[in-house]
Amino acid sequence: MDYEALKDQWSEVEDRDGIRLSWNCIPSTRMEASRLVVPIGAIYTPLKEKPDTPLLQYEPITCKQPCKGILNPFAQVDTRARLWICPFCLSRNPLPPQYKDISPDQVPPELHPGSTTIEYQLSRPAPAPPIFVYVVDTCQEEDSLKALKESLVMSLSLLPQNALVGLITYGTMAQVHEIGYNSCTKSYVFRGSKDYTAKQVQEMLNLTPGAVRPQVPQQGRPQPPIGTASRFLLPIEQAEIQLTNIIEQLQRDPWPVANDRRSLRCTGVAMSIAVGLLETSFQGAGARLMLFTSGPATTGLGMVVGPELKEPIRSHHDIDKDNIKYYKKALKFYDTLAKRTAHNGHIIDIFAGCLDQVGLLEMKGLANSTGGHIILTDSFTSSQFKQSFVRVFDKDAQDNLLMGFGASLEVLTTKELKVTGLIGHAVSLNKKSSSVGETECGIGNTCSWKMCGIDPTASYGIYFEIANPAGPSQHQQGPQKAMMQFLTYYQHSSGVFHLRVTTVARNLSGPAGDPAIAQSFDQEAAAVLMSRIAVFKAEVDDGPDVLRWVDRMLIRLCSRFAEYRKDDPSSFRLEKNFTLYPQFMFHLRRSQFLQVFNNSPDETAFYRHVLNHEYVGDSLVMIQPTLDSYTFDQDGAVPVLLDSASIQPTHVLLLDTFFQILIFHGETMAEWRKAGYQDQEGYENFKQLLEQPKEDARELVQDRFPLPRFIICDAGGSQARFLLSKLNPSTTHTTSAYGTSAQMIFTDDVSLQTFMDHLMKLAVSGTN
Amino acid sequence: PGVGEYQAPDAGYPVPTQPDVGGLTQDMSSMGFGRTPQPPPQQGQNNRPHLNQLYPTDMMNQPFQVTELDLPPPPIVLPPNTSVTASENANCPPKYIRSTLNAVPTTSSLLKKSRLPFALIIQPYSSLHDVEDPVPIAADQVIARCRRCRTYINPFVTFLDQGHRWRCNMCNLTNEVPQAFDWDAAAQKQVDRWQRCELNYAVCEFMAPQEYLVRAPQPLVYLFCFDVSFASVTSGLLATAARCILESLDRIPNADRRTRLGFIAVDSSLHYFAVPRDGGPVTDTNMLVVSDLEEPFLPTPADLLVNLSECRENIESFLGKLQEMFQNNQNGGSCMGAALRSAHKLISPVGGKVVVLTATLPNLSHGKLEMREDKKILGTSKENGLLQTSNSFYKSFAVECSKNQVSVDMFLFSSQYQDVASLSNLPRFTGGQTYFYPGWNAARGEDAIKFAKEFSDYLSSEIALEAVLRVRATTGLRMNAFYGNFFNRSSDLCAFPAFPRDQAYVVEVAIDESMTKGVVCLQAAVLHTTCNGERRIRVMTVALPTTQTLADVYASADQGAITAYYTHKAVERALGGGLEAARDQLQTKCIEIMQTYRKELAGGSLGGGGLQFPANLRCLPVLFLGLIKNIALRKSAQIPSDMRSAALCLLSTLPLPLLIQYIYPRMYSLHDMSDVAGVPDPATGEIVMPPMIPASSGSLVPYGLYLIDDGQTQFLWVGRDAVPQLTEDVFGVADKTQLKVGKTSLPLLENDFNERVRAVIEKARDFKARGVGSIIVPHLYVVREDGEPGIRLWAQTMLVEDRAEQGSSLKQWLGLMREKVQF
Ligand SMILES: [Zn+2]
Ligand SMILES: [Zn+2]
Repeated sequence: MDYEALKDQWSEVEDRDGIRLSWNCIPSTRMEASRLVVPIGAIYTPLKEKPDTPLLQYEPITCKQPCKGILNPFAQVDTRARLWICPFCLSRNPLPPQYKDISPDQVPPELHPGSTTIEYQLSRPAPAPPIFVYVVDTCQEEDSLKALKESLVMSLSLLPQNALVGLITYGTMAQVHEIGYNSCTKSYVFRGSKDYTAKQVQEMLNLTPGAVRPQVPQQGRPQPPIGTASRFLLPIEQAEIQLTNIIEQLQRDPWPVANDRRSLRCTGVAMSIAVGLLETSFQGAGARLMLFTSGPATTGLGMVVGPELKEPIRSHHDIDKDNIKYYKKALKFYDTLAKRTAHNGHIIDIFAGCLDQVGLLEMKGLANSTGGHIILTDSFTSSQFKQSFVRVFDKDAQDNLLMGFGASLEVLTTKELKVTGLIGHAVSLNKKSSSVGETECGIGNTCSWKMCGIDPTASYGIYFEIANPAGPSQHQQGPQKAMMQFLTYYQHSSGVFHLRVTTVARNLSGPAGDPAIAQSFDQEAAAVLMSRIAVFKAEVDDGPDVLRWVDRMLIRLCSRFAEYRKDDPSSFRLEKNFTLYPQFMFHLRRSQFLQVFNNSPDETAFYRHVLNHEYVGDSLVMIQPTLDSYTFDQDGAVPVLLDSASIQPTHVLLLDTFFQILIFHGETMAEWRKAGYQDQEGYENFKQLLEQPKEDARELVQDRFPLPRFIICDAGGSQARFLLSKLNPSTTHTTSAYGTSAQMIFTDDVSLQTFMDHLMKLAVSGTN
Repeated sequence: PGVGEYQAPDAGYPVPTQPDVGGLTQDMSSMGFGRTPQPPPQQGQNNRPHLNQLYPTDMMNQPFQVTELDLPPPPIVLPPNTSVTASENANCPPKYIRSTLNAVPTTSSLLKKSRLPFALIIQPYSSLHDVEDPVPIAADQVIARCRRCRTYINPFVTFLDQGHRWRCNMCNLTNEVPQAFDWDAAAQKQVDRWQRCELNYAVCEFMAPQEYLVRAPQPLVYLFCFDVSFASVTSGLLATAARCILESLDRIPNADRRTRLGFIAVDSSLHYFAVPRDGGPVTDTNMLVVSDLEEPFLPTPADLLVNLSECRENIESFLGKLQEMFQNNQNGGSCMGAALRSAHKLISPVGGKVVVLTATLPNLSHGKLEMREDKKILGTSKENGLLQTSNSFYKSFAVECSKNQVSVDMFLFSSQYQDVASLSNLPRFTGGQTYFYPGWNAARGEDAIKFAKEFSDYLSSEIALEAVLRVRATTGLRMNAFYGNFFNRSSDLCAFPAFPRDQAYVVEVAIDESMTKGVVCLQAAVLHTTCNGERRIRVMTVALPTTQTLADVYASADQGAITAYYTHKAVERALGGGLEAARDQLQTKCIEIMQTYRKELAGGSLGGGGLQFPANLRCLPVLFLGLIKNIALRKSAQIPSDMRSAALCLLSTLPLPLLIQYIYPRMYSLHDMSDVAGVPDPATGEIVMPPMIPASSGSLVPYGLYLIDDGQTQFLWVGRDAVPQLTEDVFGVADKTQLKVGKTSLPLLENDFNERVRAVIEKARDFKARGVGSIIVPHLYVVREDGEPGIRLWAQTMLVEDRAEQGSSLKQWLGLMREKVQF
């Protein structure tokens, strides 16, 4: 099959199963596998929207313990013996009585060949309606707080009517609002500077049954278990008016702040209290804690910078020098809190509205470990915040929120394959099984992870290895297949649990040197999977080490799969399905994911968070932005190279980095625009040319989450730096390409050409 | 005297004749007692006046009469021209200061020999409101004071040098008369110096000029700490207190519109209330709950103490909702100690009154108290421990409060043990008071009304703020010890964050040097801020003659003041050494005084087995007996320690007239009161009281109706043979057995006798008429002699002349005295 056909096939699989594999043919030996360089991996989007897939209203047929594999189209079914053979453990399982009439012509939906992905609605109901707790920073400018209050009030109308809502506000102190209280506005106040244990918080909110009781016996009436926290969490249909009133009356933190100081902001304490509030009564129930912060924590647990303004907030350089006062303590605090939250099954979202950093670097675990969102914006007044926030509450056709709660993912494999880990927003459930591999990639040593929060675009990188001993199974007829099954349990926002099952089968390679392996290489999926590994490494390793690793892996891949004559770079050739991969790696090296010094630590944390959430397509945009060019006498956009040579005076460029969408007017275009030709008669085509990229940009952001920053700039303008930083410096001050009309880029970066030259030279040298 | 219409049902019972109560009084007044002394001649010789004469009596032959309790102290007889003006108000009236000795021994050895104490009983205010007891004010801010001893100029100084200079009557230093002393700056004209009030009145007030202010005068601040725990809510305390404050808002002094109020609700958490200003965008009170009790902190920098005038409507709306806010509270915790610390933090920048209203033992956090009472140890020597503070917090914190001008009042309502002993420390050291309402429940109308009336009067009282009391005296005299509710900041300075109007203080005076002058002076000055924000000094100067003879000392000794002094000594001893020691001390002291009198002044004669004692001290033995039998000190295994502690608080704070009544209850016979009793006196408009009768069961006839009243509790005693007509008229119930006994109030019936009985009971509560400020509204209990024994026994403890439990009768007591005096 040729490459284009393969690509179509993979894309079809992605549509159907939400999965892309780096290798679509599985090496049948460990030896073969070890030469792949890029690991066998999958980018899997468990809740990928599949409107036409029926939802099965019955319990799945499962294999016996401990396998628990789910009946699927790849299982052998013996209709006469009323048996099915589990492809994962090869056990024989009886078919249930209601399946007695099945025949090859009449099979239940889960056995249809197209049902590689199927979803069950389980009978197990959710323990509680979905819970939303807003944690709101009140140390804000008036306009920002006002905008946030409006967004929050508006969001109440987006919640399901039975959803439970709660409100915590904080500044110098943290306040838990008792919204169920009718006599007046009432809140519980905690000192922001103090370390409260979970037990203390619960006691102070009177959440424990151990709270002091009157000496007079109360006829032994037991307190309902949920009763106590219900003072703070009420169904929106009951509390909307009261809560709206409280939110509208929220005032800026009243404590005075000296000119040379930051506001005292107890973000950590507030979050710890929020987690504690849900912990007692709602462990295991679906809940989102939504943090809205507009500055760094400056007091109490989790503070990231002192209150004195003369003390700057940490930068990447400070971290590099290991010279930060609060970093380790704060990181440890938030990571512990994140684990606790994940254990409780709750989600934490972080919405930051601040021009400066808010301590996302330290807090990122809260969202990363619980499947929460991170939205980093300049202000709550920005449409970037407002629209992204609204999008959190997107709904499906049945008016159910497009979010799942308390999700977990389990991977089953046939014996050739072992899972080595997952990279994405999840924590390990530490489940050992025969599918667990020996090595570890990402969060490993388990076949099951807990994500808590999950949404239709949430994607996970899952990595595999080939097991010892080698050798295909002889039990199956036809081409030997390796299989994996992904089981995603989650609380659907309609209030019941669902199970999404995706079963993937791929051919095992033939005898050593089977060319099918190389042909099955999906370079896009591979690039994304490698990017996730690189970022995962970057979180723990030094930047240069990670870059060297990326280079080494690329060179090894090329020397393994390219055609060349030894020591002759000019003979270097890559197959079609490998050609883009070096470029991806080139851009990855230069991307904000690995080159952190141009960004704040908070931005780095944010970018990496988003990368670990997206599916292949969007991830590639982040790694290698897209660039389209518009000019006269051309029909619409034309994709152009992400290269400084693409900057032309008479062209308009549209750059999409996923995080930013930028429209750039070439020199001449900019001059005309300034002169206002677009508004003059006779220049309609110019006007249209200017409008075209804007329309396309609107199209791009339609489904984008978080909403990107939108920039319109001109050649020579200061904002143009956002474009230039993304372009391949093919024309730099170090090259001698003077006299060209292309834009000069002042950089010491190597250009793609130089990079490729080096790559070819090293790949063919055979020393790798 | 006329005889009432209610008589014995059986004609066979003789109607007892009233003892001739007037007899002795008339005798004594004819001897010069009870008469106001003639003002000294305008000018005259410096010859010594005749001091009060000693009138020996025999306590055995001439039994003590209850009316003697009402006699005024022996007059202070000063030589002519002692004061610079001829004003009859030049010397301090006994209402404000009473000296135990109205003739002062010139030497300490004579004082020692007399075995009598030398002390002043100071009561700077005699009513809750200025309008009821106005004191002249020197408003021109010209304050002449001695350069050396800082005495305020007073009627007993002397002017020299054509009036340009004045000699201090305390230290003899000659001072310049201030320029402005004779000049009215406002009116720009000469002032007649001899009209100045500080030279005419021994009791007057100075408006203080700037230099008396360390800071702007503080506003009146009330911070209410409400117990909102289960006990408080279910007993109706919270609702009643909130409603009472709401209805009393107009009564809280606020002439300067600076009065501020704050509210904290307390269970196992602290609830603060941010009451918004009237007319602002926010109308809802914001409740802020703090459960972190380790370190006091305020949940908001916004003002939690709100201006009564500016927030009046929202305060009303808040108080109206307060009860509802906690109506379902099941919480049984009380972190009142933490509440106090937070209250202190909240008001210490300004100072003010913390009003604690609680029905629960503070069982959490700081100042946590434990149920430590054990019925088994009552009446034993271990009982003493229960009267002492069990948590040092209540002492150390009180000192902290005093330092920051914070005064604490305790309103205690528990139906269970509440550790009054510990809690009362805060009022004790901060110029506050402990008000005790054992077993209070709003469901009982009497309880609700009593507290509501008292609390409303309490709120209306024009207390003074950031006050200090200092007593100066003629060289040779020294203030040696101070008793009362305040903090003794330095050797002679008593600090009162708030100065109440219903308390008295005792200052013991030592004679350091022999006195040569015929007159000594003592001056008590209270520097304070009025609740209207004025800085003032209330000055009271008393001049006393000196003497070298013991007879003079005894003849001018004030039995009431001496009793007050020994009451404080007894309280001090009870808290320190225990109840037994306190009682022993009283008995020993009584014997000692009687022995001294017999030995030194009665010539040792026994006079046929009699017991000699001067007429002016005849109440002393019975008052000492009453004190020994008071609930605070009585030997008994039945008295809960909270009751004792509360009584000890009363003994150490009550103004003298109420103290004497608390020690020796007043008793009136009602069934046979004359027609003029219980109706207004045509001349004064005041209700005429029936004559007092001895607090003794001997006074009771079985068909009688009596009022027994110790000023805190009133008992209406219905004899076992009371006729149906009597009960019908008084209670509207002919059948005596249907009478509702216990705490009650009399029905309003359309008959003359019911009206008169009610008038007598009401008049008995008229403390104002007796020259004291008090908020107390005594409970009225109906007691049937043949009814429920518990209440009857309690009422009988008021009959201090009787033998009861482990206390002797008056007869036995006097017998014991005679026995001891003889040897
Ligand atoms: Zn199986
Ligand atoms: Zn002097």
